[in-house]
Amino acid sequence: MAVMTAPENTPVWVDTSRCKACDICVDACPAGVLSMQPEPTSVLGAMISVIAPESCIGCNECELSCPDFAIFVADKKEFKFAKLTKDAKARQEAIVKNGYKLPADYKEAN
Amino acid sequence: MAFNYDKYLRTNKMPTLWCWGCGDGVILKAFIRAIDKLGWDKDDICVVSGIGCSGRFSSYVDFNTVHTTHGRTIAFATGIKLANPDKHVICVAGDGDGLAIGGNHTIHGCRRNIDMTLILINNFIYGLTNSQTSPTTPQGFWTVSQKVGNIDPTFDGCKLAEAAGASFVARELVAAPKKLEKVLVQAMEHKGFSYVEVLSNCHINLGRKNKMQSAMANLDWIDSISMSKKKWDNLPEEEKKNYLPTGILKQDTEAPEYCDMYKEVQKAQQGERGKLTQDDFAKKI
Repeated sequence: MAVMTAPENTPVWVDTSRCKACDICVDACPAGVLSMQPEPTSVLGAMISVIAPESCIGCNECELSCPDFAIFVADKKEFKFAKLTKDAKARQEAIVKNGYKLPADYKEAN
Repeated sequence: MAFNYDKYLRTNKMPTLWCWGCGDGVILKAFIRAIDKLGWDKDDICVVSGIGCSGRFSSYVDFNTVHTTHGRTIAFATGIKLANPDKHVICVAGDGDGLAIGGNHTIHGCRRNIDMTLILINNFIYGLTNSQTSPTTPQGFWTVSQKVGNIDPTFDGCKLAEAAGASFVARELVAAPKKLEKVLVQAMEHKGFSYVEVLSNCHINLGRKNKMQSAMANLDWIDSISMSKKKWDNLPEEEKKNYLPTGILKQDTEAPEYCDMYKEVQKAQQGERGKLTQDDFAKKI
């Protein structure tokens, strides 16, 4: 049974027993919140992880486009979401360019 | 509190058997949200599916469900609807299931305008059995049954449904789940036969051999061959055949519904009214 209520101070959380690592949510996120991480026990050798929860804008795109009921976004009342920043957009571009993984040497602009 | 999908799911069957990134899961999610929006009781809904990847659809939802034989989705559903006219019947079929093997049933379901919703998941291939040519596979695509390129002309399911007499016809994309949810709500609310074709991705069995290895690449290709009906209407005539229009393509609230007409037959048989005559039908032949 997946956790439906948001864990404290968490905008977005993942049920790793359902995730199949299809990359769709990472592609859908506009703010670089999600990224794939190597995970040897997963079928495709990767697993989704939330790398920058503070950048989440609460657009729900990841939840809507996930085919496996694996990712959840908090309600607007439960969490104060951030606004979309240039840094977040740049991080998202870098993640998508690097095959949906955050580059190891990636540094924020400021 | 995130949206609780588990309320409508058989959670012991999770995770789904579909491949990673399969559009069927997104459609299932949009369908569950649409049902939640309508506020229907779980016991009042019957989901009927055929064979194929789309056939798994009925196994995962916690409604009354029937997993029927190949292509006979509409035939079974018609029986269910006639026996229980106050229940909501929703059929799910794939493009091979609903347009090839079950094409005839689809035509006659549309013709009768019986009150049910058909969600036709069009992924342009027979996905479950490893990439044979389906009626919607574009020409020139690699398939297992036509390895030098598909020569069969493609087939537009929405045009078929419109011509056959369905009173609600719409087409949507997996890449736009919010719009899909909205259209599904309208389709299920509509009294009469609602045909909703959803263009879905099958990057495993269609994409891998056709230069679309990832779900995102396949969804981008679907995006490139479709456009909203408003834009499509303004295209010059010779370009229209290159694109599939999306959105609501037909909505006719006047057409008589089959269960209502069948009630009249019951009344006539029980002697409560005279025989039905041609004047009883508003539709002119």
